[in-house]
Formats: sequence, C-alpha cells, structure tokens
Amino acid sequence: MAVVANYDYDWPSRSAAEFYGDDQLIHVWWNGNVFFVSAQTFRFPKAMPFGALVNEVLKGFYTADPDFVPDSLDSAKWKIDGVAVTPDMGASLEANGVGHKSLVEFSL
Amino acid sequence: MSVAAEPRPVGVDLQENEENRALVEAIEADNDDLNIRHMPGMIRLTKTGRLVINQASVEARLGRPWETHEFQMAIISYFGEFVEWDDDQIVIAWNH
Amino acid sequence: MTVPAQKPARKLSMKQRYTALTHDLDWTPTYVTEDEIYPYTKFEGIKVHDWSKWEDPFRLTVEAYNKYQAEKDRRLYAVLDGFAQSQGQLGLTEARYMNAMKIFIQGIPIHEYDAHRMFSNCARYLNGPGARFAALCQSMDELRHAQTEIHTLSHYNKFFDGMHDWHKWSDRVWYLSVPKSFFEDAMTAGPFEWLIAIGFSFEYLLTNLLFVPFMSGAAFNGDLPTMTFGFSAQSDESRHMTLGLEAIKFMLEQDEDNLPIVQNWLDKWFWRGYRLIALVAGMMDYMLPKRVMSWKEAFELYFEEQMLNGLFKDLEYYGIKPPRDVQWAIDEKEILSHQVYWVLYQYSHAAAFQTTIPNEEDQKWLMEAYPETWPVFKSVVWDRAQRVMDAGGRYFNPGLPQLCTVCQIPMGFTEPGNPLQQCQRQSVYEGERYDFCSDGCQTIFDNEPVKYRQSWLPVHQIFQGNCGGPTLPDVAQWYGLQPGDGAEYLGSPDNLNWLAWHGQAVKEA
Repeated sequence: MAVVANYDYDWPSRSAAEFYGDDQLIHVWWNGNVFFVSAQTFRFPKAMPFGALVNEVLKGFYTADPDFVPDSLDSAKWKIDGVAVTPDMGASLEANGVGHKSLVEFSL
Repeated sequence: MSVAAEPRPVGVDLQENEENRALVEAIEADNDDLNIRHMPGMIRLTKTGRLVINQASVEARLGRPWETHEFQMAIISYFGEFVEWDDDQIVIAWNH
Repeated sequence: MTVPAQKPARKLSMKQRYTALTHDLDWTPTYVTEDEIYPYTKFEGIKVHDWSKWEDPFRLTVEAYNKYQAEKDRRLYAVLDGFAQSQGQLGLTEARYMNAMKIFIQGIPIHEYDAHRMFSNCARYLNGPGARFAALCQSMDELRHAQTEIHTLSHYNKFFDGMHDWHKWSDRVWYLSVPKSFFEDAMTAGPFEWLIAIGFSFEYLLTNLLFVPFMSGAAFNGDLPTMTFGFSAQSDESRHMTLGLEAIKFMLEQDEDNLPIVQNWLDKWFWRGYRLIALVAGMMDYMLPKRVMSWKEAFELYFEEQMLNGLFKDLEYYGIKPPRDVQWAIDEKEILSHQVYWVLYQYSHAAAFQTTIPNEEDQKWLMEAYPETWPVFKSVVWDRAQRVMDAGGRYFNPGLPQLCTVCQIPMGFTEPGNPLQQCQRQSVYEGERYDFCSDGCQTIFDNEPVKYRQSWLPVHQIFQGNCGGPTLPDVAQWYGLQPGDGAEYLGSPDNLNWLAWHGQAVKEA
C-alpha cells in the first residue's frame, strides 16, 4: 500500500543488507526460555559456519541462564525463518539459508 | 442506522482543595443521584445522563464572583462531552 | 445610604465574545486562493465542506487563556519552591521511586515539545479559525508542559542520577526511540492524521493510562512536585481531550467518505499508542514502592470501562468500531507489566534508570494484583534472577534484543493465550525482511511499508557502527551515560546516598 503523501514518497530502509557488507544481522531465538526476554540480534559474517555460531557463540552466550547446559545445544531442534531444518554445521550461515535478518530458532 | 443509546455515565474529576469545596457542593445540590468518590488529591463526580454546573449556584456558595471559565482551574479529567458551556451553565452529557 | 454593589453586565455573552475574538477575526482572502494558504488539508483525502462547523465548547479567548494559564503556573511554582526549601526529596518513600521519574523526564518533555511544534503547525495550516485557535491554545499548553515538567524534575537532578542528560538520551538511547519514533511518526503524517493520532487517540483514548499512573504514583510516594505538576497539566488535558473528540466528530460529520480513513487511523494509532504506554505498565507495577492500582485495574477502568463502554458507544452513531487489535490488548492486561519490566531489568545496564528484583513486599502486592500470572513469572524468571544474585552475580542480558520494526520495543511480547511463547511476525517487502512483535505492528507495517522501513532501530544502528563503537562501553559513552545512571539499584549511589541521608547503615550484602 502506498503511503499517502503530497509528493512522490519513496525512502529506503535504514537497515538494508548493503549497510553490513559481508556481514548480516541474524535473530537467534531460544523458543521456550523467556529468561532471555526476546530473541537476540547479532551481526555475523555470512560466511560464518553454522557450527561456529553454535559452539563458539551460543554455548557461551546462554550461560547467563544459571540452568543452561551448553551441550544441550547439540540436540537442539532448529528452524530457519519458520521452516524446520537440520543445519549443516560445517556450512556457512548463508549456505544454510540464513539471510539478512533471518530468524534462527531453536528449542531444546 | 442509529439507535439512541441508553443513558450512560458521565463524569468529571476535580482537584480536591479548599477552593473547590463550594464547586462540589453546588454540583451535588444541582444533580440528583450524583456519585461522589474520593481518591488521592481528587474527587470523582459521576452520574447517568447529564451533569450540570450552574454558575449562580457555585457563586452563591463560594462567596465571591465566579465565572464558568474558572471551572478549568478545577478540572482534572472528564468523560462525556461538553454539550454546553455558557456564562450561566456547563453541561456534560453524551450526544449519542 | 449604601447601594448594593451590582456587577456591571457584560456587553457580550461568552459565546458572542468567543465568536467575536476568534471566528470573526477570520476573513475570506481575495488575492490568493484558499488552497494556496492552506496547502496541506486535501492530500490525505479527508473532505471538509464547512469549517465553520468546528465547535470548541471551552470558548476561550486569548484574555481568558492567559489569565488562567498564568494562575496555574503561579500555583505550581509556589509548590516547587516550597518543596525545594523544605528538602522534600527526603520525604519520598524510597530513592528507587525516582526510577519512574527518570523514565518520565527522559521520555516525555521532549515530546511535549514535539506536540507543541505540530499543534503550532496546525494553528497556521488548518483552514477553520475555530480549529486554528484551539490548536494554538494546545500548542502553548504543550510548551508549558515541557517547561513545567523540566522545572518540576530539575530539583531531583541535584540529588539523583539518571536525569542529567535527558535531552541527549531522548535522541540516542535505545528505549527512548520508542516515544521518539512514535511522535516523529505522527508529526510526519498530515494534519488530519496528526489530529486523530495525537489529538484523539493519545489525548483522549489513552491519556488517562499515561497520566494517572504517574501522578497518582507521585502522590502515593511523597512526590509532591510531580503530583502538583500533574494536576496543573491535567486541567489543560481536558481541553485537549475536547479538541481530539471534536476532531474525530468533525471529520465524521463533514463527509461519510471520511469514515474508512478515520477508522484506519484509529486502528493504527490505538495500537501505536498502546504499545508506547507499555512502558507505563512496567513502571506502575514494578517501580513504585507504594502502588496505587495495577496496570490491569487501570486498563479496565480507564480504557475498557470509560472508553469501550462509554466513548465508543457514542461513536457507533457514525459507524466507528472499536480498534481492530483491541482484543489483543485486553488479553495482554494480565501479563504486560511483567513482560515490560523483565525487558527493563535485563537491559538496565545500558539504560539511564535502575532496576532490581521485586522485594518481599513487592511480591506480596504482585501476588494480590495478579494471582494467576505473577506465580508463573516468579518461578520462570524472578527466582532464577535471584539465584544469580545469591551466587554473587546479577543477570544482565549479554547481547542485544530483537526489536520490533514498528514499535521498536524488544520483542518480548507473547502470543495471546501463551505467555511463555514470544510472538514472532515477519514480513518481506522488496526483498528485505522486517520483524514485528504482534499482529498490530505487522499490520501497520504492511499498510505503509515505505514509511516504517525507515525505522532507526537502535540495535541495528549499533551494529552499523553509528552509535560510538562496537562495545557496550563505547555505546554507553555515545549515549552519555555515567556510572550510577543505570544497572542495579541495590548498592548504587542513589541507594547508598538515600541510606546515608536517613542515617541508616548499609546492610551487609
């Protein structure tokens, strides 16, 4: 729907992919644990391996929750943008279908 | 299609202070079935249908000249509409 | 012999005076067209046939306006002086109450000033003299509100952290993008949408949900200045409510074709305003040592009872329906404050206010106010946060939250009926993804994507390097935060000072 304006109204996004170069924003969501009140937004290289996200970032990140067991992430169920997937840990985020501002969801 | 809605509450919240005593007394005297509720620093006056504030009634109780414009100093909030605001009277009601 | 004093009869009645000094000062231009003088009142598609039908029941003139506004100011400043002279800040219930007023000074005065500017714009660019004069009065009111809020709270700035750079924070700090984007959204719309967005939706529909919690909270917690400011401003607010109601009725009465436009704006701005005042819900249930009423109670009284069952029955006459997403708001009333404060608690290390775990007395009140939902939040989040404290730590979220593109709040809101499942909505527009906290925000985006893709989302801007640097200390410096402004209340300078002023020893940790 067009914005009603008294001129030709067209303005770009302030968070378009081009502002992040070879990186992108991703939202990581632990569905089922509101101790983290919302999903978390990160900026990572598109080429970052999915396994690095899990093992080098998330396993440490979520220890802010005293009940979190890092290795439980090894058996997490994943969804990317609402679609259930089994991520290829060796492949990049991009190759796994994670795009700019994609929602990377897991449940334990 | 418009159907006249049944009478609904209207009301006004006034600052509770010395000056407004006379105002509240006047409103009480001039409105049947008025509901008065005290809350911190304010008085809530409600009734069904129409709430009337009469200039002469307020002035008589206050003991000094009072114009209806001065009602603004007392009011905190209201619900309903100001269907009339003249030199002699203010009326709060719903139009529909 | 004395003659009883008689008041000289006024030459004109109130109605005649008002008409003579407002409407009758207007004239029909002969050498320019009406459209040239008023170029902004057609493009929104609102049809007006007769501007003289705009009614203002208050019938103020400049003389009456100045007389009464000056008197309100005199009374307020007398109280502010008295409070300062008597060291009234020592009589607050507790220093942590000030966090509510930190949010107030950071989130409100600058936007009162925004409202002043836009109503000033309306005072020039609305075609009808009655509408222009009402807008002029409101513009001056909003400026007075900005000034009096700043003056009222300036006293506390001498004694408490988290207030010193409210102006800079209003522009930069993440949670303050919520009110900033709200007002800028409304200001960049046209005059008729502004009147529905702010004049009606904010100043009539939602106003009591903003002001009563702050002002009653002030009254209950020993904050005489804020309470007095509140009463001083509220008398102006009754004129604002009247302007807002007149605006919507005028548009609906001028032409039937205006109905769908007005309904759409009502739907949009109810939701935008409702999400904005979620911050108030968190404040009133969690930041006041002595509470007045719960968010749930306030919502039931000031919105459901007074608005849905009062005002909307009146508007039915025109074909207006209650806002599209109102049921979602009603469903949220049991959980909204818990979710908002949980956001604030885990991110206050990056904020200019402090948070703390509800103490025993707080928890007792929360249990009484929310017998069904408080136990859930207590067991799922607060007991865990307490365990972190007991182990010598303090839970702060180690990252940055996902923000809703429209309301800009961290997406901690949940699906209706499932308070432990955060709501995720996503739209793709011209190949780019956008995220939303609710159906309400998503619909607003989908209706005007080119407007809302311009959102300056603090988290995204931090990641683009536009907020001072990549680390939290870099961002805090860019924000202008100083030690003591945020993070945990217990053990903070505000807390320790309070104890010292009252001759109390610091408890062993």
